[in-house]
Amino acid sequence: MSALGSAAEIGKRIVVRKTAALSLAYLVAVALAAAFATTVGFDPLSQNLARMLEGPSRDYLFGTDELGRDILARVVYGARTSLITAAGAVTLAASVGVPMGLVAGFFGGWRDAVLMRIVDLKLALPSILLALALIAVLGRSQVAALTAVGLTGVPTFARVARAQVLSLRRRDFVTAVEAFGASSPYLMFRTILPNSWSPILTQMVVLSSVAILLEASLAFLGVGIPPPTPSWGEMLRTGKEYLYESPTYAILPGLMLTLTILSFDTLGRALSAVLEGREDAPVRRGAGPA
Amino acid sequence: MPDPVLTIRSLSVTFVGPGGIVPAVRGVDLEVHENEVVGIVGESGSGKSVTALAVAGLLPPSARVTGSIVLAGREVVGAPREALRLMRGQDIGVIFQDPTTTLNPLMPVGSQVVEGELAHGRLRVDEAWPRAVELLREVEIADPAGRAAQYPHQFSGGMRQRAVIAMAMAGRPKLIVADEPTTALDVTVQAQVLALLARRQAATGAAAILISHDLGLVAEVAHRVAVMYGGRIVETGSAHDIFKRPRHPYTAALLKSAPRIEAAEGRLDPIPGQPPTPTDLPAGCSFHPRCAIGAHRPRCRAEEPPFRSVAAHGVACHFAEEVAAPATIDAPAAARRPSVGQGEALLEVEGLKIHFPIKAGLLRRVIRTVRAVDGVSLRIAPGETLGLVGESGCGKTTTGRAIMGLIPVTGGSIRFRGRAIENAGRDVLREARREMQYVFQDPYSSLNPMLAVGDAVAEPLRIHGCYDEMGGARWIARLFEMVGLSPSVAHRQPREFSGGQKQRIGIARALALKPRLLILDEPVASLDVSIQAQIVNLLQDLQRELGLAYLFIAHDLSVVKHMSDRVAVMYLGRIVEQSDKATLYASPLHPYTQALLSAVPAPDPSGRRRRIVLAGEIPNPASPPSGCHFHPRCFRAGPRCAVEPPTFEPQPGSPTLRACHFAGPLEATRGAAGAAS
Amino acid sequence: MIGYVARRLMQLLPVLLTASALIFGMMYAVPGGPVGVLVGENATPEQIEKVTKEFGLDRPVLVQYADWLGRAMTGDLGHSLHSREPVAKLIGERLPATIQLALTATVIGLLLGVPLAVASALTQGSWFDRGLSGWSALALGVPTFWVGILLILLFAVQLRLLPAASGYVPFWDSPWQMLRNTILPASTLGLYVSGIFARFLRGSLIAELNADYVRTARSKGLVESAIVVRHVMRNALLPFVTIVGIMLAGFIGGAVVTEAVFTYPGMGRLVIQAIGSRDYPLIQGCILVILVGYMLINLAVDVLYVYIDPRIDYG
Repeated sequence: MSALGSAAEIGKRIVVRKTAALSLAYLVAVALAAAFATTVGFDPLSQNLARMLEGPSRDYLFGTDELGRDILARVVYGARTSLITAAGAVTLAASVGVPMGLVAGFFGGWRDAVLMRIVDLKLALPSILLALALIAVLGRSQVAALTAVGLTGVPTFARVARAQVLSLRRRDFVTAVEAFGASSPYLMFRTILPNSWSPILTQMVVLSSVAILLEASLAFLGVGIPPPTPSWGEMLRTGKEYLYESPTYAILPGLMLTLTILSFDTLGRALSAVLEGREDAPVRRGAGPA
Repeated sequence: MPDPVLTIRSLSVTFVGPGGIVPAVRGVDLEVHENEVVGIVGESGSGKSVTALAVAGLLPPSARVTGSIVLAGREVVGAPREALRLMRGQDIGVIFQDPTTTLNPLMPVGSQVVEGELAHGRLRVDEAWPRAVELLREVEIADPAGRAAQYPHQFSGGMRQRAVIAMAMAGRPKLIVADEPTTALDVTVQAQVLALLARRQAATGAAAILISHDLGLVAEVAHRVAVMYGGRIVETGSAHDIFKRPRHPYTAALLKSAPRIEAAEGRLDPIPGQPPTPTDLPAGCSFHPRCAIGAHRPRCRAEEPPFRSVAAHGVACHFAEEVAAPATIDAPAAARRPSVGQGEALLEVEGLKIHFPIKAGLLRRVIRTVRAVDGVSLRIAPGETLGLVGESGCGKTTTGRAIMGLIPVTGGSIRFRGRAIENAGRDVLREARREMQYVFQDPYSSLNPMLAVGDAVAEPLRIHGCYDEMGGARWIARLFEMVGLSPSVAHRQPREFSGGQKQRIGIARALALKPRLLILDEPVASLDVSIQAQIVNLLQDLQRELGLAYLFIAHDLSVVKHMSDRVAVMYLGRIVEQSDKATLYASPLHPYTQALLSAVPAPDPSGRRRRIVLAGEIPNPASPPSGCHFHPRCFRAGPRCAVEPPTFEPQPGSPTLRACHFAGPLEATRGAAGAAS
Repeated sequence: MIGYVARRLMQLLPVLLTASALIFGMMYAVPGGPVGVLVGENATPEQIEKVTKEFGLDRPVLVQYADWLGRAMTGDLGHSLHSREPVAKLIGERLPATIQLALTATVIGLLLGVPLAVASALTQGSWFDRGLSGWSALALGVPTFWVGILLILLFAVQLRLLPAASGYVPFWDSPWQMLRNTILPASTLGLYVSGIFARFLRGSLIAELNADYVRTARSKGLVESAIVVRHVMRNALLPFVTIVGIMLAGFIGGAVVTEAVFTYPGMGRLVIQAIGSRDYPLIQGCILVILVGYMLINLAVDVLYVYIDPRIDYG
């Protein structure tokens, strides 16, 4: 069974789950819309002051905002912001966290002690607070939001990788490779890491939903990506000011955001069930901003 | 004759799951009478445990049961839940395999023991506690009043199983079902628990079903035996008859395939192939693909044999009359490999010590030391096999891993081909590891699940950078042939292989670098009985062909005897006795060896030997007893043993080395020793 | 017992030291450093010199840290740059509001989550069970601020039953007013956390229902309800206590978003205000207090275990 063959097989086993297939379809649609937003002619910035805070209509499917901008166009561009931030943050978190966890778990000693203190700290501080503190230092920008969200995910990956090392090291096949006289890098990166891909991949999907939620929360609190870049959190923030005038303003972007998060969650659970035989995804230990 | 306590008629159990319909039991008939112990023997997947659960009405909801089970005059199949509940604990008591999980960790043992009687309203709440203490006393737990209030984690494995026995027998059930009751226990504790179970059964006069994969164990205690294969009973008969004159080819083959402690050496006669899984049963007689008689007969392939009577046995075989009587056990010894153990030592271990510190507190101070290995010396010559036996926790595996350089050594020396390798640097170890390899117990965990098996076998060559030098793909193909596998399977993933095949691949991988010494760590312990013989034979063939030396680590004295030239017995981190095989098994000198040997169940009911049942269990290696580690359990210990550790030295007039102040043959001391029973 | 608590407190020290060092270090990571923070970007050299002297910023960093830590331990967290008031006083005003909200939310979460988990674990695989797992996925995945907005739309904008903005009314002042003000934010958080509770408890209940000792209990002839109550529940609730503790502790500082939706005057709002006005002493103080609160709750959970789990001995 080659890696490609197994990917196809896993794909099949995920798609037979109805909710997972639906989630995947939704995410692909959102990603496509976001990617081709300009080509299709969505314009999130042009204002039509004559038609402010309107509800859904034939011209504006999702209505207009307080400056008469098309909410649908802004939602689609918001998807772009969300997905890019999430992808960047998760990549950052995994590429820093996984090697950290591998090294700490493999060598133990002070490296492990330092890592575990950081993980303890991350558990003690809700991610939203950690991200806020980072924004406080880094200032407010797209890069800052991405970095802040990504760094809060580092301990999660480090912990997953470390747990993998600790459990795999007790397995005989790792001892066997060690008994052949393999070097530490060989053990870590050729034997242990390839056997850890399934929990890491699952964690990447689960963390994507956390990252999107976190980015939206920062924007909602007014410290995310600065305007006029459209972002779902920012739209909810302004939408909340006009609840009496135009309730759909806050409802529709929120719905898109919710569906995106739920889709990633569902996909993460399906992956975890298919790859690790677990029907319940790990509880995101207080990871979601509340 | 009074009615049987249990009558099973054409019992079938199928599981309906997402993977389809799985027939686990296919038409079982069985009777068990008062005061009778019936053994059910079978390999994994034979349906023996499912039968037991069906009798107790404990099958999961996904099971479909047909046929009839009459227990104490009442039908179990299709009975309402409440009727089943009232039956359990009253008419039937069940003893499960693993005592570590069968008790609720959060409830005092005493409360759990009497819970059943309380639930059936046979006990008033104010009587419960004295009753719990009484029940624990009946299963010979010391200080029952104190122990009743304790939680399961404060009990040792053997004590937990005693408590489970007390619990199962609290309501004086008419039938006891014991499903592998001693499999999870050490040999010496096994003997205690089995003896206790037999005593309690005899005292209450209950009928009993003993389920086990271990022929010897069943021979030891059962009156009648039923052999199961592929969901059916293939043979029944009295224990004596079954073992002396089996009528089914499977029973006969099973008996021949297991090494016996009383037998002389010689080649084992393995059963080819694998036991079938219930999802994939062969057509006709499910044993026919592995059968010496029926493998090529069309009738066996086409027609499931009915159960019929042959010479006082019940047999399900078309050709039962053709099954030959087994050869007498003391067949002439096969020609022994000549001049083994001569010349320079390949491996020499002197005074090996491995201590693990237990650290605690903020400053990580060492609060205690586990002396896993505490002064072990052994020597292996080229081409010879040294057997290292002992119960779990005695340090045998730690010793093997330390020799391999996987665990740092606290003290002593390890010399391989004259070169010191203890705590050696990477280069020295790397060189030594080319000539010394390890085979693991669990074939399921010893192969990298991400690597095709051909790549797994080639991995050591690649790590040592000598893949091409050793002959590349041709050498890999040759290795597969050497372990009896087709080279064409090299591209497959480990999960496509059975346990026995995986073990073969593990052996091929260990042979890749052409080593001179293999450390075999319980290489057959996790395999089915019929597969064990295949691997044992393979190891012996390879040794002869390649001139390999083996350090054979195991707990099974019969297999060790079969494999080894010399044997060392370990107890709590030390070797207590070491000798050539013949001497050690014929005239053991150390009381521990004597007890261990007497505890081995042998599939020969006529020769029920006298057993030495040791008191107590193996102490915690973090706080071993003073003096001789064995003295608290020893039937020969004197005051000197508690203070002065015995030296490991030769017994005068014998080739044996032993560590005992009172070493000597068993017969000489039996009169004086009260513990022998 | 006292020894055990003392030892556990000692174990918290390294985390606390690391955290406090990082929190202190924040000032130095900010562009302009601590001086810039205190005087702003367009300060004259005289101002800079004055502030440097006044706050001892010319001393070695380690000395400054030791001084800051020493004062923090006596409860002196410095003064807010914005309002010039002591940080400890500002936090003291907000902490009770946050604790009240956190407790109410946890109670709502338990009242919803526990019965649902038990019911669905006992009817595993049924439509009810499948419904619950869908529901708990929703509770977990829907962002709290959107739930909050929907609740405001329904109860404040449409039905006009409850205030859209929630104030802090201590329970003992007016239970009714407290409930009116807290019910919406607490339900928002409670819904979210009930999803976590239900999913976790269902999982551990099902694991325990399949445990060997349950089969043993059945083989003794126990009634099924007795098996669930006497054997399964206790074993399943044991790890659940940890989750409840973690969630409760998380609400001390983590309810930032919900507090913002309902403009509830808790710790979370304080942090946001502090970050918005770059009030670094206040940010530091808040994070430190949230951290300590979290650790104390976890310590309390660990101590609780000594009483409820016989396998743990605190010797």
